[in-house]
Parts: sequence; structure tokens; C-alpha cells
Amino acid sequence: MSAVLINDPAGDPRIAGRAFIGRAAQARLGDNLFAGIPALWLFVFFITPLAFTVVFSFGHSTFGGIALGFTFDNYRQALSGFYLTSFLRTIQFAVTGSALCILVAFPAAYFIARHAGRWRGVLLVVVLIPYFTSFLIRVMSWQILLQRRGPLEGILNFTHIYSGPLDLLDTQTAVFIGIVYAYLPIAIVPLYVVLARIPPALIEASRDLGASRWRTLVHLVLPLARPGIATAVLLTAVPMLGELVVPTLLGGDKGVLIGRAIASQYIQSENYALGSAMAVLVLIAVAVIVGALARLTRSFAEVSA
Amino acid sequence: MTDHSPLTGSRLSRRTILGLLGGVSATAAFATAFPGIRRANAATTGALNIYSWPDYFSADDLAAYAAKSGVTPNIATYNSNEDMFAKLSSPAGSGFDIVIPSSGWIKQLADKNLLQPLDHSKIDFSALDPSLLNRNDDPGNKYSIPKDWGVLGVVYDPDAVGGEIKTWQDFFDAGAKPNVSGKIRLTKSASETVGPALWLAGKDWNTATVDDIKGTADFLKGFAKHVKTFSSFDPAALASGAIVLAQANQSAARGAIAQNPKLKWVVPGPWSEIWVDSYAIAAGAPNLDQAYDFLNFFLSPDIQVKETQYIGYPAAIAGLQGKLPADVKNADLIFGGAGLDFSKLTTFIVNPDTIAAYQDVQNQVQAAAGG
Repeated sequence: MSAVLINDPAGDPRIAGRAFIGRAAQARLGDNLFAGIPALWLFVFFITPLAFTVVFSFGHSTFGGIALGFTFDNYRQALSGFYLTSFLRTIQFAVTGSALCILVAFPAAYFIARHAGRWRGVLLVVVLIPYFTSFLIRVMSWQILLQRRGPLEGILNFTHIYSGPLDLLDTQTAVFIGIVYAYLPIAIVPLYVVLARIPPALIEASRDLGASRWRTLVHLVLPLARPGIATAVLLTAVPMLGELVVPTLLGGDKGVLIGRAIASQYIQSENYALGSAMAVLVLIAVAVIVGALARLTRSFAEVSA
Repeated sequence: MTDHSPLTGSRLSRRTILGLLGGVSATAAFATAFPGIRRANAATTGALNIYSWPDYFSADDLAAYAAKSGVTPNIATYNSNEDMFAKLSSPAGSGFDIVIPSSGWIKQLADKNLLQPLDHSKIDFSALDPSLLNRNDDPGNKYSIPKDWGVLGVVYDPDAVGGEIKTWQDFFDAGAKPNVSGKIRLTKSASETVGPALWLAGKDWNTATVDDIKGTADFLKGFAKHVKTFSSFDPAALASGAIVLAQANQSAARGAIAQNPKLKWVVPGPWSEIWVDSYAIAAGAPNLDQAYDFLNFFLSPDIQVKETQYIGYPAAIAGLQGKLPADVKNADLIFGGAGLDFSKLTTFIVNPDTIAAYQDVQNQVQAAAGG
């Protein structure tokens, strides 16, 4: 992309700006071109494949290919029997995973925002650094931690919290441990942002007026944290709808989620039409979630203003 | 289709990692939209493009070939036959000379005109093992030359299982025992999950109808609750006792037995699978002469012996077992164990009419295993 800019002076707003200073129309053209590059990128690499997926979803599958057409058969199949069950199971999985994530993230964010003092920045960095390493490597590390004769078994046996071989790997528990771990940083950050912005005076006032810590949390902190919670749900639940790495690596690939089911239609069954229909349904589910959460945070903004 | 990994040393094998990034096929499907993205294939001589499984040639032998011919092959890799099929079907798949599909995919590739018939005058088949030639997946070896092969079997801890496994019935019965239930590994390959159930019902997996295939679902879903994992074969899990009964191929089993010598390996009856990864020449191969030159070099007996030691699967040359150095451990396991009966082995041939039914059963079994 940058090579294009350098070879094409009109596309570079700095050069264009210098040559035609004061000529608003020309400057606007430069701006438009500059904005056009990401738009083109989005069109080629996001909209076009998406359009193919939608078109494929109405077609007939030939082995490893598509005969274009217009049929709802793929959607009928994707919304019945096993595939519907997988779809519902995936939604349940995302809701549970997201809830667990926020349950763990909230106290952590609360502590960093309100009690960490000058260590706030350091703690946030500590939370975020793992997020910048490879997702795959982080999840695979849990295989080593959780496996038989692994470090966790050693620690639990040594401290007599649990004795005997530990069979956590390839269970649902391991999947949720991995999921919560993987998505924790992106749940903590939005919660931290809203919690740090609650004026300390409000909490002091609540305590002065006789509210218990619990009442203060439920009636003051949680309502004020609502946009952060909604954002955290959005950032964790949406990717979990497409999750297939964690269940594969930590759950022994048991319990087929929709991400895995779609991959199997494309890769193993060579049925691009059904796979596309399932992918479109996931997109619709995501759009509904995003829409609902966006509404939730907006109504909040209106109330507070 | 087949579930064979030369990198059986670790659960974190490269193929596992790459397999997870399995969106590759979908990418290949969309590649039809971008005919501009083509493989560079300008050179018609002095180059050789190979499309292969990862780590499927020893670096020493490739260097020896480069020294002899002056050509260093360009090797691109795939992690499943499905990926390979999708890529070769798309414009991104042009420009390859040699591909190495598993035998069951040769018919599909040939039917799509993605392979070219071999010129038998340019290849010496005489040194190859006759039991690997002229099989039902490619009669007369019109398109393919066997490279190496594997069998589907079972590796198990006889103490936990409390007896000997001889048939797939024994395998399923053992799985329900209290010491074994929850410590079983099944493969992710649909045919290798459904196949044993079909064989026990007296059916051939290549002629089974969609109803036959779906008919195994209830039985297999009932068995699924005993399964711990469908992930890649992990020798460490068998060494630690986390898994005591596992479907595996002979080379993976050999890796596990090296870590835990009390484990046993069996190829259960009445039938089991043989897959033969085979050299084939892509339609429109730009470097045809170079391709034949490469094949003849790699089919020569001493290279086949070295390749067998490197990849851990037997190359196709006749009498290979006698040619291996004496210090190769558990050498008979490389060849599927003592007394392997080739007449009781069958190759799964991919059939567009039934492949989705197999995969549906596999998905249901994996879902049922999740409770």
C-alpha cells in the first residue's frame, strides 16, 4: 500500500497538499483518495468474500465446488436437526464463556481501577502483555499445564489439595479455563475504563448514607459500569461464537461447536453451499448481538446525560 | 482423510498447528475470485515444483538430488488431502509438477482432470512391492506410484484393557470397561470412525449406501461417551496412562511404544484400512522431464531405505524390511507389525455421494462425546 502512495503523488495528501495549497477542491480529492485506499481494501478483502459466501449459500453444492442457483435448502438444513443443535449449543457456550470471563474480570478490573494506586499502569500492562503473544501458543501452553504429570498436577499433589493423577485435559472444564484465560484481557480493559471513571466521592457518599458495601456495589457501581460490561460482553461473546481452537486443543474436540461444524462442511464434506449458509447464520446472530448491546449502551448514555 | 502425521513426537506438532489454521480450503475456494493470484511458473526447465505433506522428504536426500541434477525442488505443503484437492481445483493450484495425494483421492483428482496419466516407459516399477501396485484405487497405476503407506490399527495398554484385542468388536467392548472408559482416543477422520462399525456389520466402506453409513450413528454415538479425545495422537498421553486405548497408525503406535514398551499394537479384523500416499504428476506440469527424473531418483532402492528411516513410514520398495539397518528399533512396527495380512486391508476411496454422510456421522459422534 505504501508503495502505491509513493509512486502516485496525487494519492499522497502531503505532496498533493503542498502542490495545490489553498485549493480546497483538490485537497478534498486528496482526502478522498486517501480514504479510498482502506475502503478499497475493505471491499476487496472483506465485502467480496462475504458476497461470495452469501451467493454460495443459495447455491447447490457440487463436490468441492458450487453450482449457482437460488434455493433455501441449505438454510433449511442448517436450521434443523444436528446443525441447529450445534448452533444453539454454540450460543450457550458463548454466553457461559462470556459470563465466566466477566465474573473473573470484574474484581480484577475493580482492584486495578480503585485500589492499585500508582501501580495501575503497570498492572494493566501486565494484564495486556500476554494478549500480544500468539493465541495458539498461549492456549497450547495450557495443554502442558493441565496434562497428566504436568505442573498443575504437581502443585496440587504437593499441597495435598488434590491427590492422584489429574485428568483435566480434554474436558469441558479445561475448555472454559482456556476460554476465560484467553479472553480475560479484553474483558478487563473496558471494565477498567468505566470503573476508573466513577468519582470516588459517589462511593464515599453511598457509604456515608449508610449503604453497605454490597448495596453500593449493586445499586451504584454495577449500574455505572453497564456500558463497560456491555462492551466486555461484545468483545468476548462474539469471537466465542466462532471459537474452534480452544475446544480442539483443550477439549479433545468433543462437543461440536458451529465454528467446527462450518469448517467440516468446507474442508471434509466439500459442501461449500451448506457451510456458507451456516456462516451467514452466524453473521446474523453476531449482528443481532452487536445491535442489542449497542442499544443497551446508547440508552445508558441518554440517561446519564 | 487419513490421519497420519510423521511428526508424532509431540502433541504440539507442526501439522497440528497448521491444521488449526484450516481455513486454508475456504481460502482456496475463494481464490477462484482472484485469478490474478497465480503461482509463478515461468520456468519450464531447471525447476521442479512439488506439492506435498510437510516434512515428507529427508533434507539429506533432497540435497543429494540437488547435487546430482542441479535442481533444488520448490516444495509447497498441505495438511490434508482436502486442502490439497481444494487448491489444485483452483487457479492457485497451477504450476505444480508432482503432488502426493493419498490413494483414496486419486480417482477424484483424475476425474477432475487434475492429474495426467503416467508414462510407464519412463518409470521402473519392477523394484516396487507388488502388493502396493495395481490396487482398486488406481487400477494399472495409471496415475500413481506408491510413495509410502500406513495402516489403521489400535494401540492399547493390555493391563487396563484386561485382555487381547483381535477385532473391532473387541475394541468397542473394551471401551465400555470401567478402567478404559473415558481414556480412549478416536481419530477425527470420519471414515476411520465409521469404517470399523461398517466392517462389523459386514459391509464394505466403499460400497456402503448413505443409509448404511447413517445406520452406524446410533451405535457410535452410544460409544462416544467413553471417548476422551479426537485430537492428534499424543504418545505422551499413552505413556502417562491418560489414554489406554487409541486408534492410531503403525508409525504413531511405534512412537508411543518407544515411550511405554508394555503397550501393544494390533490391526483388528475383520477388516482395516491401508492408505498409500502416492506420487502423481499434475496436469499441465511445466517441468515434466524433471518430474520423471526426480521420481526415478527417489524410487531408487538406497534412497527408499533412507526415506523410510527419516519419515517412519515404509517406502514402497519390495523387500525393504530386510534392507533396513539392524539398529532401527521396532522395525517390524514400521511395516504394520508381524504377520500383517494385506488381503484384509482396504483403501477408502472418496466418493462425493457418501462423503457428507460420513462427515455427518463423525460430527454427531464428536458432539455426543461432549455430553
